Amino acid sequence: MELSIIVDFLFKGLEISAPIAFAALGAVFSEKSGVVNIALEGFMATTTFTIVWGSIAFQSIWMGLLVAIITGVFMALIHAVATITYKVDQIVSGVAINILAIGIGRFLSQRIFGQETQSALNSYLFPTVFGINSFTFALIPITAVCWFAIYKTRFGLRLRTVGENPEAADTLGINVYLMRYAGVILSGVMCGLAAAVLYPSKWINGMTAGRGFIALAAMIFGRWHPVGAVLAALLFGYADTFRIMFETKIPIPSQFVQMLPYVLAIVVLVGMMGKAKPPAADGIPYEPGE
Amino acid sequence: MAKIRIDKYRLLELAAPILGFLASIVVLLIIAALVGEPPGKAVAAILRFTVGTGARLATVFSVAIPLFLAGLAVAIAFRAGVFNIGAEGQYFIGGLVGALAGIYLPLPKAIHLPVVVLAAMAGGALWAAIPAILKVTKGIHEVISTIMFNNIAFALVNFLVNGPLSGRGEQSLEPQTHKILPSALFGKLNSAFRAIGLNIPEHVYMDYSLIVAIVMGILVWFLLFRLRFGFEIRAVGVSLDVAKYSGIRVKQVQIGVFLISGALAGLIGLQEIFAIRGHYTFEIASGLGFDGIAIALIGRNSPVGVVFSAILFAFLKQAGYGLQLYTSVPNAIIYVITGLMILFIVVINEIVTRYIRALRKKEAA
Repeated sequence: MELSIIVDFLFKGLEISAPIAFAALGAVFSEKSGVVNIALEGFMATTTFTIVWGSIAFQSIWMGLLVAIITGVFMALIHAVATITYKVDQIVSGVAINILAIGIGRFLSQRIFGQETQSALNSYLFPTVFGINSFTFALIPITAVCWFAIYKTRFGLRLRTVGENPEAADTLGINVYLMRYAGVILSGVMCGLAAAVLYPSKWINGMTAGRGFIALAAMIFGRWHPVGAVLAALLFGYADTFRIMFETKIPIPSQFVQMLPYVLAIVVLVGMMGKAKPPAADGIPYEPGE
Repeated sequence: MAKIRIDKYRLLELAAPILGFLASIVVLLIIAALVGEPPGKAVAAILRFTVGTGARLATVFSVAIPLFLAGLAVAIAFRAGVFNIGAEGQYFIGGLVGALAGIYLPLPKAIHLPVVVLAAMAGGALWAAIPAILKVTKGIHEVISTIMFNNIAFALVNFLVNGPLSGRGEQSLEPQTHKILPSALFGKLNSAFRAIGLNIPEHVYMDYSLIVAIVMGILVWFLLFRLRFGFEIRAVGVSLDVAKYSGIRVKQVQIGVFLISGALAGLIGLQEIFAIRGHYTFEIASGLGFDGIAIALIGRNSPVGVVFSAILFAFLKQAGYGLQLYTSVPNAIIYVITGLMILFIVVINEIVTRYIRALRKKEAA
């Protein structure tokens, strides 16, 4: 009995952590290339909708996932065009996309499902393994691939160079804009994957509930490293799982338990700051010299 | 001759918000057409619900009051380069502190009203204080910390209104505080407007929060453009390094402006709490803090600009309801349009800036 609760907690925690982890990987790609991306929340607000719609429309969760990834890429392109091509303030663009995304989800839901706040039920799902969505386990190989791509490939080296020193990268003949586009687009792809584990059975308005921002905190806690970011995401995910599973059993008001992930994020950031350094050119638009 | 040229540049700079607004309206009409509503019908629906009658027009201005305060709060922080995305949490806390002063302090009306306003400001500033301190001492970006504080604020007021401060059972089963004392309630100014010939129907809230908004607008303008601290705020916003080298204590300015922004944000909920509901609940309209970000950006972070963009925003909100009511275009379109409008404005602004730079270069050559 005790054991089954622990096993349940371990698997459930992995499932609840996975969307944050995928988004945090996306954040790593974007910020490694030098683009701050607070629009992850908005990306996920749209991908969580399109995965449900795509699955129902094409009667396949894989098609739904494809649609979600395309949606993520599309949203990411907006951020990329605004911040890289037009050098708009990256926070401002992120805020605008987050507002836009809320509207897109609600607008499409109203048009397609006749309700602004929730979609119909999607029954085309990934099989359940150990009581959780099996796509959760894709997190492990994907994290490895991300690590490999960032630290062991020429692409990764170039991505990191444009985030650390775009002038030098430019001198070496690396296309700074192209690499930054790649970083931002990959963050959109990751938000598509996040949707595959964030309750793909139904879309509800506001279901992302700040996970995009928690993912940013996880990225910082993970020191802009893909494995670190995923581990930090697990910390937040398990804290949330603890809340969900034991909220009613703890003798303190549930609202205080609900604060847990957010307070934890603040505490973690306080502990981390000054110890971890973002990429040197993170957040600074690249202006080629004349 | 030189003076005329400067004016030309200024005109070009002002063009960005207008072009951005027009572009997003075009998108709105295109989307309406895609949904199957002819543009003419969409425009008619919007106009009917916003300026169709005097009451509708007055409602736009009424809705604009909290939006103005939200825009003002975010704008003053932006001026110093501080992104206060936490206005949302700050007005939930500020509104609660104000409401507590309204419920539990038995004071004569003339004192009680300013006291509740100051209490709301104190509450908002208090909630902004921790992210402000974390920013300057630990370097934690305020965008992340204030988002977390928003969520903590929602849980906190939820707990307080359900628990220690609950007035449930008094009037309704919905979780809410006790009733605010009559001496602290915001009365309406409709009769005052009638005296100057403006007939505002009784069901439209043109209440004391309008006075609060006007006073705050003037104070912020005075602070920004007439006081030394305002100059320092603007200097920090233009360039951190230049401000530092010219001897401005940047950290103090950032904390100060963050607290002022929080104090202003604390006022956003006043209209709903003190004029419309008469009690506090965590179900007061949410999202106004985020609207404030858009309003500040569209108003170019100036108190005067924010007046216009708050009215524009109120117009858009009402337009959304009009579309929902009279056409098959969902109300959510307004979020789409708002997001796009911000993007259009900042992108067009960049294009215009590049164009001006090119013009200047040509002139210099």
